[in-house]
Amino acid sequence: MNRDGNSPERRRFLQALGAGAFAAAGCSSSCAGKQPQQSAPATGQATSSVTTAATRTEAARVVAAGGKPRVVVVKARRALTQGYDADRGALGAMLEAGLLALAGEKDAARALASYVRAGERVGLKINGLAARQAATHFELVDELSALLGKADIEPRQQIVFDRFKRDLTESGFGANRRDGYRCVGNDEAGHEEEIALMPSSASRLARVLTRQVDGVINLPVLKQHMLSGMTGALKNNFGCIHNPNKMHLYKCDPYIAEVNAIPAIRDKQRLVIMDALRPVVEGGPSYQPGAAEVANLLLFATDLVAIDTVGLGILEDLRAKRRLPPLDKEGLFPTHLATAGKLGLGEADRARIDIVEIEV
Amino acid sequence: MLSRRGFFLTCGGCAVAASAGSLGGRRALAGGAPRAFPARFWKKLPGKRVECQLCPKHCQVDDRERGFCGVRENRGGEYFTLVWGQPCAVHVDPIEKKPFFHFRPGSRAFSIATAGCNMECKCCQNWDISQSRPEDVDFHFMPPDEVVAMAKGYGACVTFTYSEPIVFLEYCIDTAKAAHKAGVAATMVTGGSGEAAPMQEVLEHLDAIKVDLKGFDEDYYRRLCKGELKPVLKTLEVIARSGVWLELVHLCIPGQNDGEKEIRAMCRWVKGHLGRDVPLHFTRFHPEYQMKNVPPTPNATLIRCREIGMAEGLRFVYTGNVPGLSGEDTICPSCGKTVVARRGFELEGMHIKNGRCEFCGFGIPGVWS
Repeated sequence: MNRDGNSPERRRFLQALGAGAFAAAGCSSSCAGKQPQQSAPATGQATSSVTTAATRTEAARVVAAGGKPRVVVVKARRALTQGYDADRGALGAMLEAGLLALAGEKDAARALASYVRAGERVGLKINGLAARQAATHFELVDELSALLGKADIEPRQQIVFDRFKRDLTESGFGANRRDGYRCVGNDEAGHEEEIALMPSSASRLARVLTRQVDGVINLPVLKQHMLSGMTGALKNNFGCIHNPNKMHLYKCDPYIAEVNAIPAIRDKQRLVIMDALRPVVEGGPSYQPGAAEVANLLLFATDLVAIDTVGLGILEDLRAKRRLPPLDKEGLFPTHLATAGKLGLGEADRARIDIVEIEV
Repeated sequence: MLSRRGFFLTCGGCAVAASAGSLGGRRALAGGAPRAFPARFWKKLPGKRVECQLCPKHCQVDDRERGFCGVRENRGGEYFTLVWGQPCAVHVDPIEKKPFFHFRPGSRAFSIATAGCNMECKCCQNWDISQSRPEDVDFHFMPPDEVVAMAKGYGACVTFTYSEPIVFLEYCIDTAKAAHKAGVAATMVTGGSGEAAPMQEVLEHLDAIKVDLKGFDEDYYRRLCKGELKPVLKTLEVIARSGVWLELVHLCIPGQNDGEKEIRAMCRWVKGHLGRDVPLHFTRFHPEYQMKNVPPTPNATLIRCREIGMAEGLRFVYTGNVPGLSGEDTICPSCGKTVVARRGFELEGMHIKNGRCEFCGFGIPGVWS
């Protein structure tokens, strides 16, 4: 894998991150809306917002195969109010900027409509394992839910899901949020009886995924992981199967990649919004006091491998800031990214990713 | 969920079905919440992590996560078993089904299993339960005393089987203790991938154990079972030293673990490390789970494996899963006469008295009464 961890652009970006003064490739928050025009959108949304989701998926594949997939990194000066509570205003602005930059639209709802179409049932796959301290921020989901509403996805058509009801509840996703979206644990809805076969393993898919949603917005949390090296968009899909515990051997490789290659999972991925407001940089995936680092970042992409590859760079830099060794020095370099790349699931070569950085 | 009475009433006869795949009907995979009981055989690690010491995987488990087996969970830095007293499969089988051929032939085995396994064999016939978590299957609360009482009622021994008893070892130990207290025998069917200390503890309370020696090649264990061979061999040596009656099964999968060289090496190891009197069963593979594309084992393979075993000096080598195929009977090593005649799980003739061949008086190793 080409980690390309020292490119001048990346170094500048990360230096700015570390200094707290985010360099947005010469773009201030006031011109965030113009950012998409700087390079071609990753998903070919020169088409109108009436593009169907199926068409969108095809378009995403074509562009990803022929050009660079785009990952948009949005930084806010301050996205957290205190502790792990998030500032809804800041999140709203970040969401809007990220979606516009990713989709090349002028309106956030229209941008979302590039990935999900009116009337669809949309799954919001959060990561609730570490409870409120290090789960996907519910404030982010609330803001996204509001935008989905504007894109004609009614709240009742929005389903937040994860492995356990317990994890949802303890992450702030109660039975039904006041905003109206539904919250369902896989332990409540169950799993398919038929097994999904992979080259190295087998599993059963969550019924929420197979029966209750047409497409998924993947909402991982950026975290170091004691077994796989990192957790991001790809590993978040372990929450779509019934036996992820069986998939943690050998640094989860090739299991993470193979799970993401299951058609029922792969074909429903529409968009990834990675919560890197406060990544867990050591001791993950659970939350350990003092193990999270405020970064005030959200990442946007349609390519799960690309967004994780960019996320890895951010994670490594945050670790370096703490004088923690690189993951490969700890025997924890996430090799699953390269495996996923080889399976054609996305781009694992950072040099071949169009990284757009925005500050709001 | 059924009431306990209803649960058993639905089973009828001697088949006390609980759930799961071939053993009964599995309901939609959204079970109730299992009860958590403090687990044993683990140690604390920094940051609310734990390390399980039940099996060689030594899973380091983060808070709120589970180990590979899926049935042991870290809750705030304490480790819990979610399957103690909660079997998902309960059945009365002939002891020959386990298979035990030298342990009380013709008797019954009150067989229980919980969800979970510390391996994932691509050929698993009970994958419905072994590869499931407790909440994925129907289960019932059945503490040790109740297991023993039911086994006694059927005149059966208690057998921990179907999935992997090592992952519910605390339950096995407590139940086996209760069984012995009540004068009921306790047996186990396992893949043998356990750490020495917990295995030694459970062996103190067992009367017989059958181990699946799935292959004799590390790559095979890793590739097809998500396991390791070496710890299994260690366990076998622990068992051999314990004096608990031991039988071995080798499931012959065409093209995977049935090569002559491997079979011969395995037989030599068994003879050298466990002794020539340990029964070794070569059983027929049936396409299942992730190996539906592999054909069943040809009879000729089983016969050839048996011949290799005998040629290597093992005295009790059997074929299995093919009723009527030669190799099911126990032959007296001294006079060459059939001392136990079998067809499948059926006992057709018994000529062992007080542990000796009725024809020549030769002592036949095993537990015969």
